[in-house]
Amino acid sequence: MTLGYLGISLGVGLWSGRKTSKGTEGYVAGDRALGFLVLYFILGASIFSAFAFLGGPGWAYSRGAAAFYILSYGTIGLVPWYFFGPRVARLGRRFGFVTQAELLAHRYQSKSLSAVLALISLIAFLPYLTLQMQGAGYVFNVVTEGRIPNWAGAAIAYGVVLVYVFRSGVMGVAWTNTFQGMFMMVLAWSLGLYLPWKLYGGVGAMFARLAETVPDMLKAPGLGSDGQIWTWGGYSSAIIISVMGFSIWPHYFMKIFTARNERTLRRTVVFYPTFQIFLIPILFIGFAGILSYPGVEPADAILPTILMSLDLPAVVIGLFCAGALAASMSTGDALVHAAGSILVRDFYRVVFRPDLTDDQQTRLIRFLVVVISGVAYYFAVMSKISLVALLLLSYGFIAQIFPVLLAALYWSRSTRAGVLSGLAAGCAVTILWNLNPGLQWQEIHPGLWGLLANVLTLVTVSLATPPMDPEHVRQFVVE
Amino acid sequence: MRPRLFSSRLEPAQRRVYRAVLVFFLVVFLGMIFPLVSVFSRVHPMILGLPFFLFYLTVLLLGSFGVLLGLFLWEDRTGTSGDPEEDAL
Repeated sequence: MTLGYLGISLGVGLWSGRKTSKGTEGYVAGDRALGFLVLYFILGASIFSAFAFLGGPGWAYSRGAAAFYILSYGTIGLVPWYFFGPRVARLGRRFGFVTQAELLAHRYQSKSLSAVLALISLIAFLPYLTLQMQGAGYVFNVVTEGRIPNWAGAAIAYGVVLVYVFRSGVMGVAWTNTFQGMFMMVLAWSLGLYLPWKLYGGVGAMFARLAETVPDMLKAPGLGSDGQIWTWGGYSSAIIISVMGFSIWPHYFMKIFTARNERTLRRTVVFYPTFQIFLIPILFIGFAGILSYPGVEPADAILPTILMSLDLPAVVIGLFCAGALAASMSTGDALVHAAGSILVRDFYRVVFRPDLTDDQQTRLIRFLVVVISGVAYYFAVMSKISLVALLLLSYGFIAQIFPVLLAALYWSRSTRAGVLSGLAAGCAVTILWNLNPGLQWQEIHPGLWGLLANVLTLVTVSLATPPMDPEHVRQFVVE
Repeated sequence: MRPRLFSSRLEPAQRRVYRAVLVFFLVVFLGMIFPLVSVFSRVHPMILGLPFFLFYLTVLLLGSFGVLLGLFLWEDRTGTSGDPEEDAL
């Protein structure tokens, strides 16, 4: 079953690349020709990461309503695209941008901005990608009851990803995500409704029982990682940071450039919440575990644990395994592909080799796709460094790009010095607050303090430096 | 120059529509975080088998979808673009 899934993914991934042009615009932005359905799934499935089938139920299981923060930010996270997306796509078409940093670096005429953004993206991507690989290995390991070790599981799943991303670029990501996305939807609903029914006799009955026994788990802010009631500061700032970061994650943002036209882009944003609905059954799974399976450690193992204990037919286990792999791979492939593209387009080419030809770029991106997968794989299976701290930091970093993008498109008076110092201040404060738990008043996310410093610096320094050439700025800013 | 959220090429009536949509999403956003969320963060009454808070979030999700869909259809029907193309440069 699972092997069948991997085979289909590979086939779809290879088949999809045969039509695009050979250059970077084809490899990175799919010749700007993606239609509604594919764009919808590419975005939906990239967000449904390994987190969906492991972390999501794990949060609901151990922290209750705290998990609803995911549902909250997803509701409006993509809405900014409806407003600035068409403009970004148009600028991409006019100037040939395929990445976020290209747009911003051109707006502010700054190579350093391009390099800084590329580095922020890479720092943020690596822990994210590593977690996806660990998730894939973990699923193989649990479902085969240890017969396939973590390292082999991760290697199998990401071997497949590597092949189709290497060959087909963004089209490989797009069409496999479409297939993987549909698969996950079906699985989320069937498991999310089946498990509460099997264990409690229905979703309503399950929540009624939970309301009697653990009412605090059914309302915000839920529980913290220590099992006590979470703080409002922690809950709210997690939502704020995620909303800001959501529309700006560079591997996501790049997909604006793949849209066939503005209408396709808008339509995708409109229908995005319908993908978000699938989080609800996913969370049901975690809630189902609270009373029936107390004490599962780590909490992320709750779904595989329930499944293995129910004596389900092998087909169902195989389906789950394939679904969880789909979730992990559909996020991982987008990350690997974006990381390679960004490193070449925004860093290497800008800083060292402006004379790189289109062909050389595509070849280099392919090469880096392999290298980056290798590095992430090393972290995933060999290294003992804790990634969770790094992941927290990465969300804080990404959110710092949000004010820069708004300034680029809406504030003509913003200057190069302004955005560069704003980014620097934002990232510095985020790191500082992250390292000093004493500063984390009410558990407010370090990135939020970073954002505050970022915006203040951006505005002050911009006003203190001479404005940029109005003719140049006019091409970007809404007026 | 004052920063603008919406293009000056839009008719005032069109701009009002976009402003209303933006305000709606601002309210949704504020409704999800402290302090407003604490008002809706309750277990009872349970609706459709869901705790009130989860039901509330589901309504926000479907409401957001509805408003965006409405805006999209309105744009299609009236041929409006939220960010009309400037004259050829």
